Amino acid sequence: MTSSKQDGSKDGGFQGHFAELLKVEGKLALREPTGLAMATGAPIIFLVVFGLIGIVSPGPVANTGYTVLDLYVPVIMVMIFIFLGIASLPVTMVKYREMGWLRRFSVTPVPPSRLLAAQLIVNLALAGVAVLIVIFGSELIFGATLHVSILYFVLSLVTSIAVIFSLGLVVAAIAPSQSTTTVLTGGLTFLLLFLSGLWLPPSTIGGLLATIMYYSPSGASVQALLYSVFNVTPPFTAIITMVVYAMVFTFIAIRYFRWE
Amino acid sequence: MSLPQIPGLRDARPDSGPVITVQHLVKRYGDFYAVNDVSFSIREGEIFGIIGPNGAGKTTTVECISGLRVPDSGTINIHGLSPHRDRNRITEFLGVQLQQSSMPPRLRVGEAVKLFASFYPNPFDPDGLLETLGIKNLKNSVYKKLSGGEKQRLSIALALVGNPKIAILDELTTGLDPEARRETWALIESIRDRGVTVILVTHFMDEAERLCDRLALINHSKLVVLDTPEAIAGQLGGSKIRFVPSKSVDDKTLYAIPGVREIERKELYITVSGTGDLAASVIDSLAKIGVHVSSIEAKGGSLDDAFVKLTKDDRYRAQERLQP
Repeated sequence: MTSSKQDGSKDGGFQGHFAELLKVEGKLALREPTGLAMATGAPIIFLVVFGLIGIVSPGPVANTGYTVLDLYVPVIMVMIFIFLGIASLPVTMVKYREMGWLRRFSVTPVPPSRLLAAQLIVNLALAGVAVLIVIFGSELIFGATLHVSILYFVLSLVTSIAVIFSLGLVVAAIAPSQSTTTVLTGGLTFLLLFLSGLWLPPSTIGGLLATIMYYSPSGASVQALLYSVFNVTPPFTAIITMVVYAMVFTFIAIRYFRWE
Repeated sequence: MSLPQIPGLRDARPDSGPVITVQHLVKRYGDFYAVNDVSFSIREGEIFGIIGPNGAGKTTTVECISGLRVPDSGTINIHGLSPHRDRNRITEFLGVQLQQSSMPPRLRVGEAVKLFASFYPNPFDPDGLLETLGIKNLKNSVYKKLSGGEKQRLSIALALVGNPKIAILDELTTGLDPEARRETWALIESIRDRGVTVILVTHFMDEAERLCDRLALINHSKLVVLDTPEAIAGQLGGSKIRFVPSKSVDDKTLYAIPGVREIERKELYITVSGTGDLAASVIDSLAKIGVHVSSIEAKGGSLDDAFVKLTKDDRYRAQERLQP
């Protein structure tokens, strides 16, 4: 039998194991092509698409004073949060549960909730990278005229990420199997993308549907981000809507989360 | 047939006290009793085997001990701690190898072991452990590329890397080739020699016979027998003796001897099979009526036979046993 590591206790503390866990989850995320493609590929593709629209038909969109790309920057960001928080994170967690990986953690001194925390941090880091790509890409390459107000922008980003990721955790909590999760996240991704105004911005629709979009998790996120990238105070209704959603989703996720 | 239930009667290491005590353990799933009133205690430093047919309640029993399931009633005591209430303290010295559990497909062997080593205060050196398990060359291989046996060894590595005082190993060598099984057995013995108490869940009789100091046989959610493998095999496995009597003995006389079940005759030879200490019983009884025996050949019982017998006998009473 091998000898025991005598200085083992030095790196056995919380920082030691959590750093190790983050490192491993980070590596796994980078080895998983879909997550990485969603974080970096998707923003680049959408930047190019909306940037090219701006080149083909330059000048501001009617009555707004902003270009197509300007108006779509928040939508691209929210779309990435949806891909990461709804389409990727819950699938990974349910996979981990189904394969017994979480169960294996539950017989160690490290609770499986740490694995969830590590997953969240890795996905948040990917979201951060994607946001930077969108901001710098749209300004430097396609010349979008953003006047980002840092305070409102950070507030809107944090609340948007909180609402979408907590909804993802609800899916991870209640989905009984991997196949159900795939169906659930697929439908939810599509619905949230629609409500965010990816295909039809709420301002062009009007009526009840527009109101529903404004008060949906993704619609409210787009609203708040839209105002903050143009240095305007975001409407408090959007911020409050998101905070309420995030609280409710987090409560449901914690209440129903199963580790095995 | 009344089966012996003598917990702790025979013990490989009589000086050491129990590290785990299970008393009247009951675990139900709806109306089904997965474990029904099971009691035993495990001594420090022994290899304690839990055997039984599929679905007997073996895994549920060890899941309760490892704290993965909460018993409906009964108590489990590990070094004075409860697996459920004192979870945080128990996980530090308990290594558990789970049945049917896989890992992220792109995780590398070395990463998995290093990660789990970081969870414990005083772990083994990951490289050394991988070498002992014969998978050091696979350090950079990803999980999905491993063979069944290699996955099993990695799973054992994760259970042992924390340098546990107690190791629970469920279906340890399932899926391993014969050579790998023998190597794993040697590993388990070396762990025991370091003073680790091992709970081994298995359905391989050769494994139980080779490794275990004591065996608990669980069938239909109940503890059927608890003893050393030799005692179980001897008492219940059905031994055989062949001899030549000094004068003729009729079947009726032979059947009257305690433990005798079957009689075969061939020329001068009589072969008697049965249970218990058959040879002594036959020689004594025949001596009392003035018959001497010669050319004695005895064959001990096997654990396999004992297992089949215990579980088969039980099947007839399955109905009665399922009731609490």
